[in-house]
Amino acid sequence: MVKFEFKRDRVVFRWKDLKYEYIIEPRYWRNPAIGIALLAALPIVVWNYPAMLTMFTTANLLAAITIPLGLQLVGTARVNFGPQLYLGIGGYTAALLNLHLGWHPFATLLATILVCGSISLILSPITWIAKGLYFSLITLILPLAFLDLTFIYGDLFRGEVGLIGMSPLFDLGRVTWNYVSYYYLSLMLMLFYLLIADKIGQSRYGVTLASINEDEDVAKMMGVNVNRNKVFYYVFPSILIGVVGWFIVHTFRTFAGVTYLPLEYMLKVLIIILIGGRAYSYGAIWGAYFVTILEDVLRMAGPINYVLFPVFLILAIVLLPRGEGLFGLYHKRHHRDYFPQLKVRRN
Amino acid sequence: MLEIEGLHKSFGGLDAVKNVDFSVRQGEIVGLIGPNGAGKTTVMNLISGAMKADKGAIRFLGREISGLPSNKVCRMGICRTYQIPKPFYAMTALASVTVSVINGGDRPNMSLFDAAFEASYYLEFVGLFAKRDILAKDLNLYELRMLELARALATTPRLLLLDESMAGLNPGEASLALDMIWSAQEQFGITILWIEHVMKVIMAAAQRIVVLQHGQKLMEGTPSDVINDPRVIEAYLGGRHVVD
Repeated sequence: MVKFEFKRDRVVFRWKDLKYEYIIEPRYWRNPAIGIALLAALPIVVWNYPAMLTMFTTANLLAAITIPLGLQLVGTARVNFGPQLYLGIGGYTAALLNLHLGWHPFATLLATILVCGSISLILSPITWIAKGLYFSLITLILPLAFLDLTFIYGDLFRGEVGLIGMSPLFDLGRVTWNYVSYYYLSLMLMLFYLLIADKIGQSRYGVTLASINEDEDVAKMMGVNVNRNKVFYYVFPSILIGVVGWFIVHTFRTFAGVTYLPLEYMLKVLIIILIGGRAYSYGAIWGAYFVTILEDVLRMAGPINYVLFPVFLILAIVLLPRGEGLFGLYHKRHHRDYFPQLKVRRN
Repeated sequence: MLEIEGLHKSFGGLDAVKNVDFSVRQGEIVGLIGPNGAGKTTVMNLISGAMKADKGAIRFLGREISGLPSNKVCRMGICRTYQIPKPFYAMTALASVTVSVINGGDRPNMSLFDAAFEASYYLEFVGLFAKRDILAKDLNLYELRMLELARALATTPRLLLLDESMAGLNPGEASLALDMIWSAQEQFGITILWIEHVMKVIMAAAQRIVVLQHGQKLMEGTPSDVINDPRVIEAYLGGRHVVD
């Protein structure tokens, strides 16, 4: 029997010996709600500009890659330089199964989860044995090795051209409606990831995660099963990133390793983390929109954008608070919103 | 409660701990002393699971714990503090202790709010409740030592390993810290194995003292036996200070 309990600032659900608490105080959800409303209203403004809708869809997908990556960085206490490996694995799994075996997108989704989960589980012991630079180098090499494979087995992966013509998630008949629907789907995917990351961050698992990030030896001494946590926070975000690959396959209907597996794509994702703010899930959205919009705006400047884009990014990294990025500017004023506050009443 | 037999640990060619035997009974405060490099912290690392022993047995409540990872050792009821405090610098005092509450004991379904509430009790106990929202990096040495104590107590240990808790404290702070450790022992019914260089403190606090030198046990006895033993005086001060 589920029992509800309404308190001043939260709702408590009890079922058997389990207890779930949700904060209902407006200050905890007001600003995220405003942000979501703005993102949801965005297509109304740019309805007639498919290029802008695609740009915002790309921003949502980049944020959807960055949010789990942030979780992975904190949970494994290591910098992963190859998150795009699972984007590639997820994308190619979905594309190949759909093209060659005619699997429905939902079947390819399950296959993507299974394949990304299995491969990341096999590779997860590297979070135990490799530290610091060694871990970063291993994760840096893996997607590049996979990129080489897509060329070596060109008859299967179609090398530079990539795979084309996968079935769409759905077709609304009109191009504009399709663009809008894909924007909303990508927004939902991103918000779903944000919800997961936020729930983990605000739960008992969140403080455990933070302790591993701080000092894994001391965390172990405090009873934290560091190895198990590391495997989970390597495998779970890898699956989430793989699902983004599946989404790209069934929305853009083309997938090429040369687009997603090279260093440039990884650098963009890592820069989003730096600009948005390390270890802030919300910061990933700020960073993704900032980088995507900047890239598209500078493209209008012609070939000089290849110089201007990195210069602007370097300036942003240097000028924003170190390690706290765009979200850090907001977070500095609201840091107490993000951890349960104990009210002390003394008579 | 804790039995150590034939404990041995070497690093390359250096024997850091050689054939050490001693035991700790329930409710005791046992001091572990010795000159620098005697192997005290290595013994503590071996007990807490931070290192694996090359040889020997460590039994806690009748169960062999040698070779177990430190998180399992912690859950069995052994927790430690560090000679140089190792706080979670970017976490608040409350969050740091909450980690111990959630992971240290057997509390599988405890919510973050309940854990934070329980953590506040330990912070109140060590006198840091008013600083619960301060980041650990902004606390002074005494407060860091108290935070470490709160963090260790929050794992509900049966045996607490203290590694030079008085190091760097002034006499006033050391006296406060000693009172805190005594009251922790009384209130939580814990047993303490305590490495300490401040002789005045350890002689006052411990019921029994084990002396290590060059990785080997030199002697074991009451504080008055230890302080008057010529071997201990020689180990600490040199042979010319021994009065025949």
